[in-house]
Amino acid sequence: MGHSILIVDDSTVIRQMVKKTMDIAGLDVGDVYEAGNGIEALATLSDHPVAVMLVDINMPTMNGIQLLTRMKKNDRLQHIPIVIVSTEGSKERIKELERIGIFGYLRKPFQPEQLRDVLAPLLGVKENGTADDDDADDGLF
Amino acid sequence: MEPLTTTTLTTVFSDVLGDLAFMFSDGDEIDPSPATLWLETTIGYKGPATGMLKLWCPSEFGVLLAANLLGIDPEDDDAESKAPDAVREFMNIVCGQFVTAVHGTESVFDLTIPATRTLDQMPDFLGSDDEWASTLTVEGHCVQLTYTPGESADHP
Repeated sequence: MGHSILIVDDSTVIRQMVKKTMDIAGLDVGDVYEAGNGIEALATLSDHPVAVMLVDINMPTMNGIQLLTRMKKNDRLQHIPIVIVSTEGSKERIKELERIGIFGYLRKPFQPEQLRDVLAPLLGVKENGTADDDDADDGLF
Repeated sequence: MEPLTTTTLTTVFSDVLGDLAFMFSDGDEIDPSPATLWLETTIGYKGPATGMLKLWCPSEFGVLLAANLLGIDPEDDDAESKAPDAVREFMNIVCGQFVTAVHGTESVFDLTIPATRTLDQMPDFLGSDDEWASTLTVEGHCVQLTYTPGESADHP
């Protein structure tokens, strides 16, 4: 049984793409939950424990940085590894995120192997996962 | 003469389109199609500098973009229903890449949430002599990209 994961992004298209990319990358993923913003993510986390979160920054209602800050103040949530998946490329912004405590950062658009590289230490790769770099290049993202 | 920022925007737009959706500019400019619905998508950025990007595209372009992003057939109902979302996210990525290409990676910029509205008639394209507008043909669809420096989209 793979690890459960929560994808937080206001774009349903991106959430679907990330799910497909994780599959292409051969990652050992169990249940996949989705949230459209930080508030929805916190509600999901109250019902479902997850092993990893992929979080966008630029979202309405509660953005990724606000979500991250809230989680770091919560004893139950502060240890969940968070990978930021965002279009932003500011070095200062990334340093700020590292200070708050992220596990990794992926800039959109990214290739399946980049997602695999950042998530594999957390999730592991399926025994029959065949996503070598050549296969990964065929991916959409 | 086209300013450097407009050239940069055109390059970023084409690169993201190719990398993300395997869609490519055709090079040959065609007349925009007057018979279709159009999507207008805007996104701004704020920080040491501000600016706004706007994309006008036929709704069919959005459907094709959604289909390519999701790996589904353009005839699939999902492609049509997710077209505005696909164009919004595409412009979000274009804006993020454009900001660092023009302003560098040292400063922090906040992007606004991209917004899309449907136009039931063809927008009034800016002429080719407009220094901040770039008109491209992508997979047979004519689109126009506009950069407005010093202005940000008025949505959050």
